Amino acid sequence: MRVQANTSQTISKRDPALVMRLSRLGSFHQSRLSFMRILTRRMTRENWTFSRPVFEFDAKGVGHAVYCAHTPDRTYSLIAFGHDLPPEERSDRVIATRWDSTFTLFDGVPTTADIERLRKNIPLQEAGRVSEKELSVSRANRSVRLWDHVVSRLAAGTQPDRVEVDKVGYLMRTTAVYGSGKLGAADREMIADRPECASPFQIEMLSVFLIRTYVRDLVQHMADLKGGSMSVKLDAEIARSMGIGNSTGLGMAPFLVNHPRLFNNWISAREEAIAIVRMVPKATTAEVATFRGLLDRSILSADIWHSEHPIQVEKLERLRSDLSVLAAHVAQADFSGPYPWDGLYSWAEDMLGEDAQECLASLMLEPYGRLVDHLADQMSDKDRHAFRIDGTMRVAELLAILERAYGWALDINWSEKDQCARAWYVSQEKLEPRLGERFEEPIAPYEQPLAPGRDAAALYAALKEEDGDRNLAAFLLAHPEHRHSVRRAQIVNQAPYAEIRDNTIGSDLLPIDMLRCKLSFFGATHFDPRSDRWVRICMFGNAPYPEELASVDGDDWVYPHARQGRA
Amino acid sequence: MSHSLNEIEAHAKRAARGAGLSWGMAEEAARATRWLASHNLEGPALFSKVLAQNDGLPHEQVAPVSLDGEWHAPEGDLCPLAVGTALNDCADKLADDASVNAADVSYPLLVLPFAAWAAIHLNQPVQLRYRSVRIDTDGDGIWVDDPQDEINVSKTAKLTCQLSTDRNDTAKRPSQRGAVASEVWARLDAFAQRTYAPATEASRLLGAGAGLSDNE
Repeated sequence: MRVQANTSQTISKRDPALVMRLSRLGSFHQSRLSFMRILTRRMTRENWTFSRPVFEFDAKGVGHAVYCAHTPDRTYSLIAFGHDLPPEERSDRVIATRWDSTFTLFDGVPTTADIERLRKNIPLQEAGRVSEKELSVSRANRSVRLWDHVVSRLAAGTQPDRVEVDKVGYLMRTTAVYGSGKLGAADREMIADRPECASPFQIEMLSVFLIRTYVRDLVQHMADLKGGSMSVKLDAEIARSMGIGNSTGLGMAPFLVNHPRLFNNWISAREEAIAIVRMVPKATTAEVATFRGLLDRSILSADIWHSEHPIQVEKLERLRSDLSVLAAHVAQADFSGPYPWDGLYSWAEDMLGEDAQECLASLMLEPYGRLVDHLADQMSDKDRHAFRIDGTMRVAELLAILERAYGWALDINWSEKDQCARAWYVSQEKLEPRLGERFEEPIAPYEQPLAPGRDAAALYAALKEEDGDRNLAAFLLAHPEHRHSVRRAQIVNQAPYAEIRDNTIGSDLLPIDMLRCKLSFFGATHFDPRSDRWVRICMFGNAPYPEELASVDGDDWVYPHARQGRA
Repeated sequence: MSHSLNEIEAHAKRAARGAGLSWGMAEEAARATRWLASHNLEGPALFSKVLAQNDGLPHEQVAPVSLDGEWHAPEGDLCPLAVGTALNDCADKLADDASVNAADVSYPLLVLPFAAWAAIHLNQPVQLRYRSVRIDTDGDGIWVDDPQDEINVSKTAKLTCQLSTDRNDTAKRPSQRGAVASEVWARLDAFAQRTYAPATEASRLLGAGAGLSDNE
């Protein structure tokens, strides 16, 4: 065994030029720093309690329920409205107007008057209006096939078929979870100082966590009404295996570009965690055992991950084969030497594809919650004033920044059709973000600023014409069209992971890469692209239900356990 | 109607873009509108008026010709958003106890948020003066002195911005919601609508990502 002479070494975070490519971002996996896990860890640690003061539904599932989550300091309440939705109106598209269930997360405990006000608005979703007492607005549709199966089985006194359950994975899927000021709800800034909101998207994750409980209770309720004395209680293990589905379309992709500092903070936290673990000088037997156990369960997770999308099918094949290569390596690897995780990661960089590298990078964090979990509190964007442009910066300095951060974009010929074949725009109906073909549709005049690379290259060309000593205030007075790019470049200079370092309007762009990146930070697994522009996932599958949180040991629910009879 | 500040900002940004501002200008104009709305000032209304007044005009026609000396437009009035962004860009000028002076500025209240951000950058209160109006700001809070009810004037012949001193009296602090009259919202919406591509059947299918059925 080769023993390194030095007893300490410094491993810096991975180079943004490596991390921020779309193919790698589109290969990200959930980790300890995923928002769902941050939430469940906190709920367990702080002993949150839960109650269900209202639950009133008829045999068609029409009615409402209130689920309260009590933190040490306050209460949040999910108000759920159940509707009778004709099958022909069931659509996951954002342009739908009716849903099986609609929800809002209320700040506190709602009064009867609050519920009546919300009953007039929440079922309408975008066509309704909420107040600063509401923190999120969302809706969900049933998986009709599995819903009917589970209701009829339970009503008849038998448990659902596990094969059917596993095939779908959820009884309802959300089609939107709106937070932060949408439709008149409270802005994130109003609640950002609360400890449970320190990490991003905690309100949205709590909404989905409570929705999952409502869905389990509602399916039981409807089975009981149907089966009467015949009906049985849904097996707890089957219930736990089910999460909440989520269909995510293009709307999420622009989010990453429109929130560069926030995006930086997500990536930067995970990169710092990876660097911390690579710098661990020695691994204990217990740490290695934790890693090995979760690697086995990751392999199982990849095995039960299904998709029909050709790109995903190919990625999955590679991931599975890489994970078995990794498992073989890990089985004989010596973890007793110095810096074992750095050694393992360096091996993977040479031997595995991006998908398995990212899976490993996330897995390596698992034994080291004590070293990395605190980074969760650094993932929000707290600097409200960071949008200010430093106009005293000289042209020459900005040129150097552009060369460092946008070098990849300066090498692209942006006038080539393939490089700018697409354009992001917002459609008149439903204000839905869309991606179109620039040379085939009349959309260019409506283009959104979602091609930072192209715009940075244009800025670079304009700056090249200027005196290097000129300051940016004077430059921008004459060139307001470059103002957004100057701001981004100054942000990236401070926050190196703020920018996707890839072409976001090329003919070969796969928006699902952007969606997967964002959803991996939510904590999603089993990404199932339904086209190159929208993806279905499952959230909180295998997670504890509220009443199970206290008895959960550890934070590994996201990794499936081997089960008898599972293929 | 009571709006979230994020709603106001998003709406203002689309409106600014619809009226022809560059994306970078639109971003700051929207933040300025949000800031004014959070202080319960007539930000959204005045913003809609300045967009209407300068609708489609090129930046150079309503922006300062130069940042040296007193700022003025090539001819006609300066746009307060052009003045504000330039002011914030070169806020460090104020640090040397110099003042920024501008001639013939329309809707001067819209410059206030930019002065506030300059105050945050310099970590010292900044004062904005026009007509009989004098407003101090430390970035977050404001102290308004408006003896002749001129805060919302459509034009001032002279606007001055310079460092101020710390004040001991209580500042007016921002709230976390904004009220925007429905007719103002509608005026902004008319501009915002220009940024939306008319839907075609092809875009409906293609652009949003049709694929496998979502009902199963």
